[in-house]
Amino acid sequence: MINKVITTFVTLLSALAIALPAVAGKHVNWKDDGTVDLIHEDGTVINITREQLGAAYGPDEKPFEGETITVLSLDSGPKGGISGPLYSARPIWEELSGAKVELALVPFADLYSKMMLDMKNGTGLYDATITGAFFYGDLVDGNYIIPVEDIGYGTPDYGQWSYDSIPPNLRKLHEWNGVGYGVMNDFDGQVFYYRTDAINNPEMAAQYKAETGDELKVPETLQELLQISAFFNGKNWDKGDDETDYGTVLHLKVGEQGHYHFQSLSASFAITPGPLDKYHGVYWFDPDDMTPLINSPGHKAALNFLKELHLTGPSAQIGWSLGEAWDVFLRGKAVFTFSWGDVGSLCQDESRSNIKGVCGSIAIPSSTVYYDHEKKVMVETDNPVTYGNTTGGTWHGVVSQFSENPEAAYAYLAFMATEPWHMWSAANGWTGVDPGAYFNYLEPNGTATMDQYDAYGWAPTDIQMYSDAYHENYTAPISLEYLRIVCTPEYWDIMDKNLSAAMSGQKTTDEALDDTAASWEEITDRCGRDRVLNMYQEAIGYNQ
Amino acid sequence: MIRWDKRIKLLFLLPAVIWVLTLTIAPLFFSLYLSFTDVKREVVITGVEEIPVLDKDGNPKTRSDGSIRTKKVKQKELQIKYDWVGFKKYKRVVNDQEYQDAAKFTFIYVIISVFVEIILGLFLAFLFNRRIYGRGFMRSLMILPIFATPFAIGFMFFTILFEISGPLAWMGIPFLSNHNWAPFSVMLVDIWQWTPFCFLVFLAALQGIPDDLIEAATLDTKSAYKIWTSVILPLLQPIIVLVILLRVAESAKLYDYIASLTKGGPGTATQSVSFLVFNKAFKMNDFGYASAGSFLMLIVVMVFVMLFFTRLRKTYE
Repeated sequence: MINKVITTFVTLLSALAIALPAVAGKHVNWKDDGTVDLIHEDGTVINITREQLGAAYGPDEKPFEGETITVLSLDSGPKGGISGPLYSARPIWEELSGAKVELALVPFADLYSKMMLDMKNGTGLYDATITGAFFYGDLVDGNYIIPVEDIGYGTPDYGQWSYDSIPPNLRKLHEWNGVGYGVMNDFDGQVFYYRTDAINNPEMAAQYKAETGDELKVPETLQELLQISAFFNGKNWDKGDDETDYGTVLHLKVGEQGHYHFQSLSASFAITPGPLDKYHGVYWFDPDDMTPLINSPGHKAALNFLKELHLTGPSAQIGWSLGEAWDVFLRGKAVFTFSWGDVGSLCQDESRSNIKGVCGSIAIPSSTVYYDHEKKVMVETDNPVTYGNTTGGTWHGVVSQFSENPEAAYAYLAFMATEPWHMWSAANGWTGVDPGAYFNYLEPNGTATMDQYDAYGWAPTDIQMYSDAYHENYTAPISLEYLRIVCTPEYWDIMDKNLSAAMSGQKTTDEALDDTAASWEEITDRCGRDRVLNMYQEAIGYNQ
Repeated sequence: MIRWDKRIKLLFLLPAVIWVLTLTIAPLFFSLYLSFTDVKREVVITGVEEIPVLDKDGNPKTRSDGSIRTKKVKQKELQIKYDWVGFKKYKRVVNDQEYQDAAKFTFIYVIISVFVEIILGLFLAFLFNRRIYGRGFMRSLMILPIFATPFAIGFMFFTILFEISGPLAWMGIPFLSNHNWAPFSVMLVDIWQWTPFCFLVFLAALQGIPDDLIEAATLDTKSAYKIWTSVILPLLQPIIVLVILLRVAESAKLYDYIASLTKGGPGTATQSVSFLVFNKAFKMNDFGYASAGSFLMLIVVMVFVMLFFTRLRKTYE
């Protein structure tokens, strides 16, 4: 008898355990105060208002029930950059919308061809793609993507986000000729990271003064930075072990992100400051005829500088990807690195970093010499202006023209663009989603508060500098123009190879950049000079 | 009856023939065709129909403002145009400095790595061609690298050759960051993986040489060197040629180690023809260049193989 009772009780309990989550929702909790808890698989909760979430969703409203969308993206795994948040959002949004999300994840090297084959054949295999902004030339040229206004942007139905919350330098990477195509997600740009404890160390300051005659301080120009980096390189200034430490650590491996270092660093050498015209504000090509500028004296000076800078770090970094370079900095072995926003947030992850609380950030200092494209001379200046950059992919979603369910695809992307979700993504280093929207910056530059970042485990000094550095970078009056024309992958591929050849000594600076320029001429002719020229002018907003 | 049997045999061959025709021969000829054409591919939307989105009960779904949700169904037509351009793509490939560098690296890589593998393989086979304790176990151990995936081996060597904290870091050699050392590192990986293959084949060949032949030779000379050069090597020659052919054909396809170890760098120091054409095709969608580059490589390897076979045939005539 007792056995029967126990069996019945256990059966009832099991049935309840199965049924209850189904009723209450495993990932979504609709609260009485008008907000909604979004519950991750690992238990992390993001609270969002119903208005932010979108009016189409409700406890009994599943707007996309029965629909399936497929999203193409980079593959870094469920806890890796860019693909990680897609995994995290999937079960929550599926529960909210009733739709099913398929993730088609591919290595970076395959993304472009998979995306373009699908678009060029019009198969509509992928409803949305998390694309790099450098693919826009091809996407817009072929009319392969849908303006977001046609599929729900601006309506109260889906996740609420706005282009107005993005600084103009980043916003234009999501648009073409003023029409919005991209749904904000990741924001890429490089800043300089430095060890505050090393720079503020009185013992090192005294040594530095004795060696160079200068005060040790946060560098204000690239030339100062090089001198400081050279000073720290080869000394055991990080006393945690017996090993010598480095000045600057970089990720220079060919076929990966090496050429982005050159882009960000060379901006202040190669761009003539001033309002955009034929000579000012341009970096890649002469906007009148597509003559490459990559072998200008400014670019060559920048490459020579980068070669000197890399000598103040491990020689092995010529063959390093992001992971290796970041690891050295996060382990406290280098005083400087310059890279994407991931580094700042990874500094806070104590499972990977032992520099939490001493991880400073500044916008990339500028060079005291730059090339004047109009007068054809190198110019020296004592007060160089800050050059911003949006170097990188700024990986974000676009919806395919051939999607069967474009509105559902947009809604999934918009869900991840809402402020609470984006703050969570941007504050956690592993997501690969970097900050850039105004609500990511601390007050008064933005609307974020120290408490918000504190909740995500940030050291107050680190987040203050990080927020200020990125705000300065993205709102700088001069910014490195972003190349997003057809054939961009080809232009960058050959530049990447030649830069790597120069860094490793396989070619001289002149050979590397002159060869790049010659190859670019050939690519421009092959891709159609007039077509490329028009796109280039449109992309940078140049009017003759 | 006999003729019917023959037909049955042909029927059994049919699946294999279809397989080869569809998956090897047809793509090969299509690739050849691509190398002589410019392809323009365009999707033309010929019509757009706006239809309501229905729920599972067949009723139209509505938005929060009460309006009916619609979706646009597009009628589209894929237009592909092939323009014959003759040898233009081959000319572009031949004049491309990047291809020239890749071909040069591939050539040097094949010559050195195959040469070292043959010599080492022969030497090891010679050492193992005698009664030694634990020979079977050692032989099994030695051939293990053959079974590993080349891509994974590339990653493994990336760790081994890591210049800061890798197990060989004490040597202070810039294995992967120097444009002179990096090609050597890639060759080292190939030699590590494929010397056992040469060893295995040579050992089998050595064990196939009749003992009485060697014993007869020892009656003429006591010099082991002379026995090797005058008796054993001539007997091994067909096998050596075969191994060289197999290894050259395999090494010339070098892709995996590079993709996981160096990405063709630093610069273009370790960029092979296969790696270059793969990236042109699948990273840049430049299938014309990739096809032309591949066929040029195929021609070079075929010429090499034909020369070798001619030489071999002459030896035995």
